[in-house]
Amino acid sequence: MIRRMSNRAGWLIPCAVVGALLAAAPQRSRGADDPRDWLEKMNQALATRNYDGTFFHVSEGRIETMRIVHRVRAGRVTERLQSLDGSGREFVRNNDELTCYLPDQHTILVEPKPDRGPFLGSLPQFGADVNEFYRIESLPDTRVLGRPVRVIAVNPKDQFRFGYRLWLDEKTAMPLKTQLCDSRGQVIEQILFARLDMPDAIADSDLVPAVRTEGMRWVRQGPSHDNASAALSAYRASELPPGFHLTVQGAQTIGEATVPASHLVYSDGLATVSVFVEAQPEAVPGADAASAAPAEPPVEGLARVGSGFAYSTVVQGHQVTAVGEVPAQTVEFIAHSVKSGGAAELPHH
Amino acid sequence: MSEQIREQISAFLDGELPNTESELLLKRLTRDPELRESFGRYALIGEAIRGTSRAYLSKAFPARVNLAIDGEPKSAGANTPRPLSPRWWRPFAGVAVAAGVAAVAIVGFQHRSAAPANGGTVTAQNLSPAPQSVPAAAREAISYTVPVASPAPPAAMPAARLTGYVFAHSRYSSGLDQRGVLADMLIEAEDQPPAPAAPAAP
Repeated sequence: MIRRMSNRAGWLIPCAVVGALLAAAPQRSRGADDPRDWLEKMNQALATRNYDGTFFHVSEGRIETMRIVHRVRAGRVTERLQSLDGSGREFVRNNDELTCYLPDQHTILVEPKPDRGPFLGSLPQFGADVNEFYRIESLPDTRVLGRPVRVIAVNPKDQFRFGYRLWLDEKTAMPLKTQLCDSRGQVIEQILFARLDMPDAIADSDLVPAVRTEGMRWVRQGPSHDNASAALSAYRASELPPGFHLTVQGAQTIGEATVPASHLVYSDGLATVSVFVEAQPEAVPGADAASAAPAEPPVEGLARVGSGFAYSTVVQGHQVTAVGEVPAQTVEFIAHSVKSGGAAELPHH
Repeated sequence: MSEQIREQISAFLDGELPNTESELLLKRLTRDPELRESFGRYALIGEAIRGTSRAYLSKAFPARVNLAIDGEPKSAGANTPRPLSPRWWRPFAGVAVAAGVAAVAIVGFQHRSAAPANGGTVTAQNLSPAPQSVPAAAREAISYTVPVASPAPPAAMPAARLTGYVFAHSRYSSGLDQRGVLADMLIEAEDQPPAPAAPAAP
């Protein structure tokens, strides 16, 4: 009897172990190996850690070297993003403002109270709406900078948005390499770190811009307290690519314009497209043509803005410009669908 | 470029270059513009070999976009905001538009190309729905552009104005998009004449 029980225990134990492993397997897939958890770890690392790194920004076979410094001290975030190759352009952000130094344009752009995430970027929570248009998956692990990394892909399900591939440091979850890809998986832009330090403390001097600001023009732009005119505010996109919906509507001064533009933001939960509607000088009642916005003549056509696009057109005498880190067809689609009295409440696809 | 540097670049792009050597490579790249250019080409070639580089413009590239790029007068149909078919966005016409538009060096904020010389194309591109996996996409053939003379200068948006739009947009762009927008803003405008200095200060 004792022997038979022992025999039973002999095969029960492996069964119990297998059962326990099977029970644990789903838990494991939702935990350490779940790509969503890795994205969340990355977001945490980018927002809460100190780091000082140099990376290559590669786009269209062109490479730029940049330095990023991110400091969190007593809950206050200060960041500096600097081009190391010639242009001398820099961004410095603190809790109060974002400043963009453009020495080649003799201009400093300032935006008060920036409501932004870290310069290196993070990804939003992936809700059901995002999952409908993107597929998240883990790719085989590999190494970057000689360190083991997790590779996560965020693939768009259609050609109206871009996707990402992220190489996350196994130990810190910092993105050592990222790629922006189109819906065919083709790389549009990539960032590769050559050096990344995560020190306990970062000196103030590492966050001071190197740009000499004497003689430069300061331009403060941002959300306007003044509303855009009723005529401008009536403009909306009447038709949108699937998944995009209106998330923000407001007024915005652009550059040195004196009249705020209507600013509409459309998003699919991950990608965003801004639409600016501006009055032509002669279309502003009572405005002096010399001071009304936009100062430049109307523009029509497509422009490349880094990895994204801007598309401008004229609608009923108003300049309409759609800008976003999305394929050209998306900004073009949205810009062309803008009209006065367009759908106020846009259907969610 | 020496064989050693070539191997270093290759190893770096494969993620196999140790940290110390990466820093040395970085220093070299920061000092040497020609090496940077070579590095960029290597990165592009590497992606092409892996089958992930951008496919170039196809015959299917819509003429209306070419016209917009070249700044030529548009036809009556293209010049007015055209009614968009509700079916327009379905996954057929868009692929070539996206790949094509992205491939042409379009004038813009960075003014990387003052006049797009590569407007013509020789190979057709398969118009198919977006593939559901990267490996499948990677197997697709890559086509190439054939340079042709651009008959007219492009209708460029003033860089400062475009910068204003991008800066305003970056406030609302999400996550990694924002990083891309800001990093792109740092890139030097190659063909853009320097703006006159302004005495104004805050």
